[in-house]
Amino acid sequence: MSAAQGGRFRSAGRWGLVAPRGGAANRRRPAPLIARFARNKLAVAGVLVVALFLFFCFVGPLLYSTDQTHTDLTQVNLPPSGTHWLGTDAVGHDELGRLMYGGKISLLVGLAAGLLATVIGTLWGAVAGYAGGWVDAVMMRVVDAGIAIPALFILLVVSAITSPGPLGLIVILGLVSWLVPSRLVRAETLTLKNRDYVLTLRATGGTHGRAIVRHILPNSVSTIVVAATFQVADAILLVAYVSYLGLGVQPPSTDWGGMLSAGLTAAYSGRWWLIVPPGLAIILVVCAFNAIGDGLRDAFDVRGR
Amino acid sequence: MSPARTRLVAGAAALMAGTLLLAGCSGTSDASSASKDSINYALPANFTPNWILPIGTAAHLNTNNKSIADSLWEPLVAYDGSTGKIAWNKAGSVATAADFAADGKSVRITLGDRHWSDGKPITSRDVQFWFDLIKANKAQWAGYNPGKAPDNWTSFKTEDARHFTITFDRSYNPQWMLANELNQITPLPQHVWDKGGDAKQVWTFLNDAAKNIAGYEKNALWQTISGPYAVKSFSTAGKVVLTANKKYDGGEKPAIPTVNLLPFTTADAEKNALRSGSVDYGYIEATDLDQKDSFTAQGYTVKPWSGWAITYMPYNFNNPAMGAVFKQLYARQAVQRSIDQTTLAKVVFNGTAVPGYGPIPQGQASDFLSSVQKSDPYPFSTSAARQLLTDHGWTEQGGVMTCTSPGSGASQCGEGVAGGTKFAMQVLSQSGSTVTDNMMSAIQSSLAKTGIKFAIKTAPVNSVLSQTPQCTSGQSICTWQLSFFGTAGSWYFNAFPTGDSLFQTKGGSNFGNYSNPEVDKLISASTTSSSNEAIQGYSAALAKDLPVIWLPEPVYQVSVVRNGLGGFSQDSLANFHPAQWKWTS
Repeated sequence: MSAAQGGRFRSAGRWGLVAPRGGAANRRRPAPLIARFARNKLAVAGVLVVALFLFFCFVGPLLYSTDQTHTDLTQVNLPPSGTHWLGTDAVGHDELGRLMYGGKISLLVGLAAGLLATVIGTLWGAVAGYAGGWVDAVMMRVVDAGIAIPALFILLVVSAITSPGPLGLIVILGLVSWLVPSRLVRAETLTLKNRDYVLTLRATGGTHGRAIVRHILPNSVSTIVVAATFQVADAILLVAYVSYLGLGVQPPSTDWGGMLSAGLTAAYSGRWWLIVPPGLAIILVVCAFNAIGDGLRDAFDVRGR
Repeated sequence: MSPARTRLVAGAAALMAGTLLLAGCSGTSDASSASKDSINYALPANFTPNWILPIGTAAHLNTNNKSIADSLWEPLVAYDGSTGKIAWNKAGSVATAADFAADGKSVRITLGDRHWSDGKPITSRDVQFWFDLIKANKAQWAGYNPGKAPDNWTSFKTEDARHFTITFDRSYNPQWMLANELNQITPLPQHVWDKGGDAKQVWTFLNDAAKNIAGYEKNALWQTISGPYAVKSFSTAGKVVLTANKKYDGGEKPAIPTVNLLPFTTADAEKNALRSGSVDYGYIEATDLDQKDSFTAQGYTVKPWSGWAITYMPYNFNNPAMGAVFKQLYARQAVQRSIDQTTLAKVVFNGTAVPGYGPIPQGQASDFLSSVQKSDPYPFSTSAARQLLTDHGWTEQGGVMTCTSPGSGASQCGEGVAGGTKFAMQVLSQSGSTVTDNMMSAIQSSLAKTGIKFAIKTAPVNSVLSQTPQCTSGQSICTWQLSFFGTAGSWYFNAFPTGDSLFQTKGGSNFGNYSNPEVDKLISASTTSSSNEAIQGYSAALAKDLPVIWLPEPVYQVSVVRNGLGGFSQDSLANFHPAQWKWTS
């Protein structure tokens, strides 16, 4: 595509929502939302980074096979070489393979926990905002109380007691991270519940549940999706925190936070391959999800157009 | 700027700050605290001195508090490793002789011609004061084990101001009595501390006074001392400054006038202090040993401090699921033969650990070690371990050995092991230690090669201790199978390494409820016989019977000592002795 064509697409996108047209030329245009999202180059880069890491972690092990179950004390702390592209760690695991293996856990737990937090927060916020009155007051005071306790503190206490696996981490993270999305969705619901189409539905005998499911939630989707991306980023960071403090998944499993924690003892030993790759992976993925969230927010923002 | 972008910028800023911090930390510093008049000693990470009294409860009388107290009030018999080998250090003791009766049922002690800092002589009455306090308050005393001191001391008879006799309930091994019991006695300034009332009231009075840390510096109680140092300041935040006792008339005159004992919240903080040059005698972790050159370049010498300790993982013989398997000697042999201690000590511990094959510490040469334990009765061999299991009715199924031939015959799984039982066990291990994590991963891997599943669960060390108590199979708490308190949780012995509390039936620290009547007899004999044959027999028996999984014994700490500080040996009983430190250059 030429630069001029690119310019036309941007121009078409700008007006696309206002005057949708039929015809072959218009059908070739990308969907307006995607076009608006694509205008944010950082967000597009974020998608690429996430896609690359998903490929790296889930397809990579098929192309670069390593033993991540058994240790090999004859091959410890080796620098990068043709045999071990990113060297080996303190118990002889291939570091590149470990990065893929740990990334699976970090991404899976981060994505699942972020989504779980978003689902819980969305339902809580929608019900509170729609119901209003004392129900809203009670539900939001619960949220206020929850926010007053640092999530990391709760996470550390629970992790210390239960030594959770990946599934446990997803549940714990989901249960401590839903508070912020619930506030966002509640605010959105407060503005939506008095819209004409919601009032009409109620006047014609529609139930509260139908109002929430058919109108409130679909019209809050932009808020929810943006919140979800930030939740995923936060969840990946929280997993890294917990593992960094030695309370994450147990050997032979690992995640990027655990790898970073193990590698930091080599900070003064020049074994950069134990620190830089997991650290960089965490930074890149978290920044990527934040960039995606930023792009989605811009794309959904009608006032921005 | 949107919140997300703010996060990105904040993240980038944090990254840059972290990079700069690392870059800053990697530089060297010219700062130095080295001085002929003082020394900065780093206390263990996360330890804050909080007790001054040489008597007290177990919660107070840990190794480091005791080291401080011993610097103020010299022990009657300093039986430790401060002279380079574990023996009676007479220069650091108030007693000059201990003459045991021929029948081993009493000892006559001679005191040196010594004085308190207020000029009054140290007499038999000061020892009896300690004796009476402990007799009356034994349940609260840190050193109490039922049946042992002071239960087995039947009388205290004063002969004159410098001679007294303690009688025992039966004949004892003099070396054991001296090293493990008499070494706990500290002459106390009776003329100052005995404020009237009975021994219980005096105990309460002294312990209450000792709870006031802020008062250590000024309280007149703590000014009458017999040791080489006095307290100059004692901060509730943990910093202790000792100053030389000018009235000290003992054999270990302090060479450095001021000793600063510095607390650190983490080992990393202490390491940074070392790098900045503000510590003269500190430590690094075993995993940092490959940075030895950087410390050497800064004017330090790296000296591993070997401990008089053993490291092990107890089996829970009463566990409902795996207890019956653990009770089979061949199964314990298979586990032990799956663990390559030599490689663990060399690789995971960077060469700062020695393999341990039994109940006697092997970091130092000693007369207690049997040839059986020394020679490793169950050397590492995965194939031999597999053979042991397959010879006893186990077959590998899905990568895990499974009992396919239940019964008590010679080629069957053994009594109580049901058909279909998988050799799968779980350890509850200390969290937060890279060395421990690496060792557990390596053990998990080598056990897997034998066909033994070894799941690892981690928790803070206090949680490990509370979750792995002595129990009976019917109790809900008895679900633990293996326990590991971490490499910092090695068992440190008194000078005479008896196993009465560890491996005797119903011993106080026999967490896994190991029980073997033959071993009980040997333990009892080791404390009463005057020959070393008994304790060597005990060493051989437990090396062969495997009451626990024997693991490499790490050093107490990897010390980093400023060049020019010398004149001392690192006490393998893990005490420090400031009076022995001196600047030699």
